[in-house]
Amino acid sequence: MPTIPLHISKTLHSTTENPLPPLLLTPSGLAILELQGTIHFPTPSSATTTSPSSDFTSNSSSTQVGKLVFPLYNPKLSDPADTKWMKRVYFYVGKHQRLNGEVKKLGKPFAIIRKRERREDVEMGGMEAVEGEGGLEVQEELEIVEVVRYKIVFSTRPEPVGGEEA
Amino acid sequence: MATQQDEGGVPFSIAHDLQQFRLLELPAGILELIDAPNPPALSIKSQAASRASGTPNPKAAYAVLCTPNKTFQLRQVQTSNSVFVTQPRLEGHGNEIPVPTTCAVASCTATLELHPTVESSAPYLKEALPIYDIIDGMVDVAGNGKSKTRILSDVPLSNGECEVGWKELIAFEFAGSSYRPSANTLAQVWKSINAAALAGGTKLDSQFLTEEILKAMDEEGYPSELITAIFRRLAADEQDTNGPWSCLDRTKTVHFVGITLLEAREGEANYLTAEFLNAWKDCVPESWRTDAELSTIKDAYVLPSTMTIAVKGVSASSAKTEDSTPKVGSSSRKWHERFGRARQR
Repeated sequence: MPTIPLHISKTLHSTTENPLPPLLLTPSGLAILELQGTIHFPTPSSATTTSPSSDFTSNSSSTQVGKLVFPLYNPKLSDPADTKWMKRVYFYVGKHQRLNGEVKKLGKPFAIIRKRERREDVEMGGMEAVEGEGGLEVQEELEIVEVVRYKIVFSTRPEPVGGEEA
Repeated sequence: MATQQDEGGVPFSIAHDLQQFRLLELPAGILELIDAPNPPALSIKSQAASRASGTPNPKAAYAVLCTPNKTFQLRQVQTSNSVFVTQPRLEGHGNEIPVPTTCAVASCTATLELHPTVESSAPYLKEALPIYDIIDGMVDVAGNGKSKTRILSDVPLSNGECEVGWKELIAFEFAGSSYRPSANTLAQVWKSINAAALAGGTKLDSQFLTEEILKAMDEEGYPSELITAIFRRLAADEQDTNGPWSCLDRTKTVHFVGITLLEAREGEANYLTAEFLNAWKDCVPESWRTDAELSTIKDAYVLPSTMTIAVKGVSASSAKTEDSTPKVGSSSRKWHERFGRARQR
């Protein structure tokens, strides 16, 4: 399959309230977060996870690993020209570690690409089986679901912080 | 401190079932296309595995992103950092009330970079297309049974660049296959076109009905697709080549005829310059004869002696009367050299 179509379908719209600052918001709600190292978290068990039935878009469970804090960001000051808040983002991981990072404008924005969901799988497959010339595989299709222009990046190692009282 | 992070923070979670997303870095040119109200079709192409050469294709993993007329090489760049794609979700953990949470739904270990490449599609097409060669009125070539669309889809370049190469080679579709003509064939067909134009009083450099020339040449049995491909190649720049009319560019045509005649005689040691010039002048409309001078095709010929002329270098476009096998060999050898250079960089 030498040619794979790459569709531009920014049709993915998130209905969920997005807690991130508006600059990081995209129609689909997708954002990019980069950090040095890996986040280790305990193997999922029923105690730490929830399948939120209230949101139909998320049908899988997750583990909460921490919190993102934008200490200089003030939602009441809605001046889009003010970018000072971008310089500082904290990412508290677990109870004792904090990553120090910032929001960066990407020099070259990223397109987020995924394999296209094919609703008429059976029908399409049938068509191609008839049309396809000797051994032509079922066509794969990709789509750009979002273009992301900013990322939250934590490029330093975590620093220890005091535990919470709770 | 502790209270501040409790209240002002955005919960961050990681999904257990991560999705497959890829991140593609967008250079300015591509970004503009995507942001446009009606974005053009993009595609990712890779070269079809070459069955002709026994060596494994070193470019097997080589893919390109194509816009309608530009090509970008895709390069995968590994990152040691964890890159998450996040999505807002309403999540409640434990017995808490669900709150808006940023959830990592995908982790990308590599990103894709795009590097613009400018390359001619002609070498790819030369390799893919069998040579249509007419010898004594007979054509001895097996069709490849591939349509133009099929051929172009195997060339790792944008459609626009493929079309340029296709036109340059005067490639044509005929009886379910795609071919490119040999210089020898082109010379024959051109002589016939010129004769038909002369007989019918057609001025080739003003608009004429393509059909009239085709009819006049009907008895000669050349594929009409080949004739129209020649007209398209030699069309004046402003000419719409899809309509029923044709109009040839005088400069392009005289140049083309000269080169084609030379290439058709390639390999002959003693092609007299005077003989060539006479043949050339005879092959263009009467009023263009004065254009058929060596200066018109400068840089394209060599003079092995004071009396003789030959085409410069071993031009790969000159398809000689040999069968196509050695040709395929030579072009794939070049192909290989190109890999080597690319890898050394």
